[in-house]
Amino acid sequence: MNLVRLALKNIGDSAFRSWVVFFCAALVTGFAISATLVIRGAENSLRLVRERLGADIMVIPSGNTTRVEHALLLGVPVTVWMPRAVVEDIADLPNVAAVSPQLFLSTMVNASCCSVPQMFMIAYDPATDFTVRPWLERNLEGGLRLGEAVGGRYVFVPEGRNDILVYGYPINLKGNLEPTGSGLDQSMFFTFETALEIARLSPMRAERALVIAPDSISAALVKVKANADPSQVAVQINRAIPGVTAIESTDLFRVQRDQTLGLLRSAVTLSSIAWVLSMALMGLVTSMTTADRRREIGVLRALGAPRTTVLQSLLAEGAILALAGAATGIALSTLAIYLFRDLITHLMGTPFALPTPLSLLVLALGGLALALVSVALATLFPTWQISHQDPATAMKEW
Amino acid sequence: MIQLERVAKTYTLKNKPAVPAVHGVSLNVEQGEFVVITGRSGSGKTTLLNLIAGLTRPTSGQVLIDNVHLWSLSDQEQSLLRNRKIGFVFQFPSLLPSLTALENVALPTVFGHREGKRDAHMRAARLLDEVGLSDKLSAYPRHLSAGQQQRVVVARSLINQPELLLADEPTSNLDEQTEQEIMALLQEIHVTRGITILMVTHTTQLVSFGTRAIEMAGGTIRNGSMVVKN
Repeated sequence: MNLVRLALKNIGDSAFRSWVVFFCAALVTGFAISATLVIRGAENSLRLVRERLGADIMVIPSGNTTRVEHALLLGVPVTVWMPRAVVEDIADLPNVAAVSPQLFLSTMVNASCCSVPQMFMIAYDPATDFTVRPWLERNLEGGLRLGEAVGGRYVFVPEGRNDILVYGYPINLKGNLEPTGSGLDQSMFFTFETALEIARLSPMRAERALVIAPDSISAALVKVKANADPSQVAVQINRAIPGVTAIESTDLFRVQRDQTLGLLRSAVTLSSIAWVLSMALMGLVTSMTTADRRREIGVLRALGAPRTTVLQSLLAEGAILALAGAATGIALSTLAIYLFRDLITHLMGTPFALPTPLSLLVLALGGLALALVSVALATLFPTWQISHQDPATAMKEW
Repeated sequence: MIQLERVAKTYTLKNKPAVPAVHGVSLNVEQGEFVVITGRSGSGKTTLLNLIAGLTRPTSGQVLIDNVHLWSLSDQEQSLLRNRKIGFVFQFPSLLPSLTALENVALPTVFGHREGKRDAHMRAARLLDEVGLSDKLSAYPRHLSAGQQQRVVVARSLINQPELLLADEPTSNLDEQTEQEIMALLQEIHVTRGITILMVTHTTQLVSFGTRAIEMAGGTIRNGSMVVKN
């Protein structure tokens, strides 16, 4: 017999109190962990997509900001066009260091190639590109040649094949990129040359042709000169070139970021309410059960247990329940987030990247600490009060 | 062994007049005595026992155990003294419901830190055997009769080989036959182990089990002490 075992025995004996503390610890931790996972995941995802774009400014045809953002975030394909001449117009502006065009394409609906109903495909120009190639070269030596592509984390070659058929054209998947938790994970990247070849051959090989508007591009990615202010360059582009919208990369996904911020506020409010209610409930139930156990505690004191030992024993009970409840809350909330991530993405309209095992571990440790501190705070007063009571009085009042 | 010097205890409750439970009690108890304290309900005998055990702080006066001022000790030291020198038998069911008879008997050893679990359990088993409960080691209190529970309590009071046993109405909840059995057990412990016993009871017939009888009334000792036998 030792104090921990005594605490465990008492946990089993005070089933109601034990369940309440366990449930509250699980609720508080589960709430905090799931809110943190979703919100931090969403923020991470938005940041990763911005980083992957790798440009200071993105220029797209006017009126398509939301659609393009959705394409990048959720992988919902978008096909937008603006004249290719925009690239030269932008390059002529002061403080512009580099401009590179991109084509946004889409597979046919329910094509056999892909795991999604329609896959978003991005074609880049290797001659001017400064956004795709750097991370491509990190993962793939020599860049992409004709007929080659890299896919997001969840793009796979169909079973029984060595390539992915896009509009009847065999694409050789050279590799997969690190996950971002966004639509880019289900998108494919290849060169202009490959895109044009697919479009050329598609009328003969596919049910429907891939149409690329002549002398058109979908987006132009802009890098500004060192020390230049990207927001001023964006304003300059918007003023100088009609029919296009220049978005500073830090301004991208503003709506989604506002949504995430709103969600964060709601989550913090709800978590705080849940925390306060749980603390009150745990404090109340602990007061009730310690009152019921006054005589038992008086007996322990009479048998030679110092105040500190009684206090430690009561707090050990709380700590064991807090850790068990928190571990359950963490496990269940993480599992729920993992299982329902698609539904959450759909409801939020913002993707989120699942954390790395290390960050999950740190988060779990934070959750355990939160539960321990909460239970200690909620139960400290009643347990301190009872452990400091005159043993004779404690034994008298039952 | 026990010295009380003009000890008084007054209970003060919120919004109620102060209640003097014990006042001006001086008492000496020598090693090896079996003192029976009698008195009606509210006479202050349980409070006196609690004062001797250090379970409540006197309003005034001194309590000395083996010439040590009980209230000059820290809580830790006082608890250790109680753990090592004093055994308790209470009037109410005082076994922890979540522990078996064996674990209940061994419980005081947890706070003394003098021996390992195995030794403590072996000694607890021997004591349960001595009180006639060798077949109830794994029984929980709810599975024991009132008399059996009180025997477990007696065994628990002896686990740390105390010099002093304090018994507060140890037979008040028992039938007559069990009362006699428990009293015989306490008497046997007194004789065979030489433990000093202070027992509080409202049953004057139990005085015959002690070596000295004290009657309390109105918080004081009445008419001095009566020697029963030596």
